[in-house]
Amino acid sequence: MRDICGDGDQAASLSSPTFMLATSPAPQLQPPVLPRVLDEACLQRLHELDPQGANRVVERVLRAFEASLQRLLSQSAQALGRGDHEAVRHVVHTLKSSSASVGALELSRCCSEIENRLRAHQVDGLAEMLSGLDTEGERVLAAVRGMLPQ
Amino acid sequence: MTPVHILADEPPDQPPEVLLVDDDEVNLLLTAMALRERGFHITESSGGEHALQLLTDWAPDVIVLDAMMPGLDGFATCRRLRAMPGYENVPVLMLTGLDDDASITRAYQAGATDFFVKANQWSLLAGRLQYLLRASRTRIELERSQAKLARAQDLARMGSFDWRRAGPRGSGGSLMLSAQGLRVLGCGPGDNLGLRAILRLVQRGERRSVLRLLQGVVQHSSVLATDVPVSLHDGRQRIIHVEAEPEFNEHGHSVGYTGIVQDVTDRRVAEDRIRHLANFDSLTGLPNRRQLVWRMERAIEHARRLGHPCAFLMIDLDRFKIINDTLGHAAGDELLMEVAQRLRACVRHSEQVMEGALEAVGSRAHRTLEAVGRLGGDEFIALLPEIGDERDAQRVADRILEVMRDPVLVGGQECFVTASVGIAIFPRDGASVADLMRNSDVAMFSVKSQGKDASAIYSPQLAGRGREKLELESALHKAIERDELVLHYQPKVDVRSARMVGAEALMRWQRSGALVPPGDFIPLAEESGLILPLSEWALREAARQARIWQNSFGFADAIAVNLPSRVFERTQLIEQLHQNALAYGIPHRMVQLEITETGLMKELQSVIPALHQLKDINVEVAIDDFGTGYSSLAYLTTLPIAELKIDRSFVRDLGVTPQSSGIVTAIIAVARSLNLRVIGEGVENLRQMEVLHRLGCSLMQGFLFSQPIPPDDLERWLQQTVLPRRAPWIGQAGELEFGGPAARAAGGRPY
Repeated sequence: MRDICGDGDQAASLSSPTFMLATSPAPQLQPPVLPRVLDEACLQRLHELDPQGANRVVERVLRAFEASLQRLLSQSAQALGRGDHEAVRHVVHTLKSSSASVGALELSRCCSEIENRLRAHQVDGLAEMLSGLDTEGERVLAAVRGMLPQ
Repeated sequence: MTPVHILADEPPDQPPEVLLVDDDEVNLLLTAMALRERGFHITESSGGEHALQLLTDWAPDVIVLDAMMPGLDGFATCRRLRAMPGYENVPVLMLTGLDDDASITRAYQAGATDFFVKANQWSLLAGRLQYLLRASRTRIELERSQAKLARAQDLARMGSFDWRRAGPRGSGGSLMLSAQGLRVLGCGPGDNLGLRAILRLVQRGERRSVLRLLQGVVQHSSVLATDVPVSLHDGRQRIIHVEAEPEFNEHGHSVGYTGIVQDVTDRRVAEDRIRHLANFDSLTGLPNRRQLVWRMERAIEHARRLGHPCAFLMIDLDRFKIINDTLGHAAGDELLMEVAQRLRACVRHSEQVMEGALEAVGSRAHRTLEAVGRLGGDEFIALLPEIGDERDAQRVADRILEVMRDPVLVGGQECFVTASVGIAIFPRDGASVADLMRNSDVAMFSVKSQGKDASAIYSPQLAGRGREKLELESALHKAIERDELVLHYQPKVDVRSARMVGAEALMRWQRSGALVPPGDFIPLAEESGLILPLSEWALREAARQARIWQNSFGFADAIAVNLPSRVFERTQLIEQLHQNALAYGIPHRMVQLEITETGLMKELQSVIPALHQLKDINVEVAIDDFGTGYSSLAYLTTLPIAELKIDRSFVRDLGVTPQSSGIVTAIIAVARSLNLRVIGEGVENLRQMEVLHRLGCSLMQGFLFSQPIPPDDLERWLQQTVLPRRAPWIGQAGELEFGGPAARAAGGRPY
């Protein structure tokens, strides 16, 4: 089975016109600040769920993702503080698929790596990896917020 | 049965209900949207606990569970819902990670129907859900049809089995019985019942032959169909029908049998009961006519082959009818049952005939034919299949007369019944059952006519008055109780108004399919005295018919019954007319009596009192065949009679010989002067009708109008001929006097 989201053809997705959240009658959304953070092909697939934008699908999904990402990042920090690796694993498992859904592929890849290590009970360097996850998470959060109406 | 696939492939009317459980709101939202777009009805749930809560009062068609969830995860949720009643078979799809083999295994262990790797490929997910739904519907239909089949088999007390032959090295033949099949054999669904154990259920006497039958069937790979009597473990005796067909493998070798077992005990009991009813009298339990005839035929065959005589004793109770009439039918039945018991004790009565043994040469099995049977009514027959000579038969007859002499207690009352017994002996008195029965009947009847309570052996001399006549008399004797007598009716019409004014009842005897003409039995009945019961019957029947016609078409005239003068002499006549009128709720005048002129004049003095009494109760009397006797006009003036019927011989010659019209004119004149009605009999054509009418007689009866016909036909004749004024005589009569349609309107009641 192929990767969860997109085919990894970055060149193709970069050369396509910049993805716009053209959701009329919703107010015009801002163009993404950091185009490489969210994969355009994935965003396009989201957009196809509601081509006319009548249900504000993309906006609703992004808002749900924003809330869930914020919560999960703080949950993982707390879990790490407690040394609760199982809780950490849960967080990254959930974040792995939801971030892939919105095109945050680097974040999803980080999650997947951490999940695999935890499944194999490899906990050395976990703090560093979670810190990397945090950084990427903040980047994604910024990108998502940039796409949502103020 | 409805084919399962038709229902299963039908798309449901409602969109499929999906319960989607995922803790991640992004995935939940996306998956729900994608599936809604593909026609599913989605209910979202963010966790296992919440999902189980939902399921307590709502059942989705399919459940999608995320495997990894905080709190109650997908596996635990799945396990819990499988334990809930009604969710044993609901399809559950488990969403697992991409490279998570352990979860896939766990999913199946937890009872998931299938797994699906979490991805955003919504079409694949939708396709998988459709597949699960279709499989689920097919499963539901299959379960439903299996339940129906099981129910049908239960109702039919039927079950199936499958028997595999033992392998070539004798390794285990096997028998599988369905739960229903086990129940048929009195076992529970879990019981293990082998072929040997089943054979032990077969009733001991049958076991060997059942085994032989099975061996033969298996040897030839033929179809098995047989009924087997079994004794079940709980002691019940049942009859099991077994039916099976061989199965063959690809090489054409028989590998076993599949078939059914069915409890057919009730059917067999019913069949036996039917057989019994067909052969035995339900009141007395004795062999009936059919069974007796069969036994008699066998007895004659044996007697002929072995060269010995056999005897038939015809037994008829004396005065049984009186007991029946005075004490009622229930008492009559009680009496017959008691008599049957006594008669049975007079012979070596066998309930069952050893049929198989009858054919054996030199066997005495024909003695099992000996019996007393009931032919019907109060007639019995004793069959003695082997006697030394006629003295043996006479001894049995004497014993019968003897046992009858004790009083019978019926309805708390002592009754005395005697019997008349007629004996006929094979081969001397006849070679066939029919001959011997007739001759024993003749002998019995000779006893009756000589005062009853005795026996007689048939001899040709017995038929002193001629054999046929005796037979006829004997048969006529039974005609009333066998319902062989009927009345036919000839309408009397008034041609002036073209309507029916009454009817004359004429007795007919339906004897074994043929109608005996009255001329052949009325004189005999008069001679033997049977005319009295026949007349009583006719009066009752006419009253009954008058009531029926009154109800069906408002009949209000009279039915005339012919009576011989000796009936008029009987004091019971008036009483009987009262009873009939009361019984059928009709006025007395609706039954009229006819007496021939000759009969009247011969017994004039003894008849006159009755005539006065009849007048007092409004029963009219007509003088039949008027003009043929030698009436004293002087008497005629004093007799209380109402009607003269001109003899048919004068009517026949009307318009042919002048004398006849002279006589008719004279009769009409006498009737007028005495203020009597006059009616012409035997009118056969329009010319006779015209002349009669011109001479002043408008009441007529004869073939021109109608022959004597059964009562239903008479109603039809009224409806189809008289009411629509369709007969040739109707127009003719109207024109005669009134000349046309005006008369029709003035006709009044059409009958």
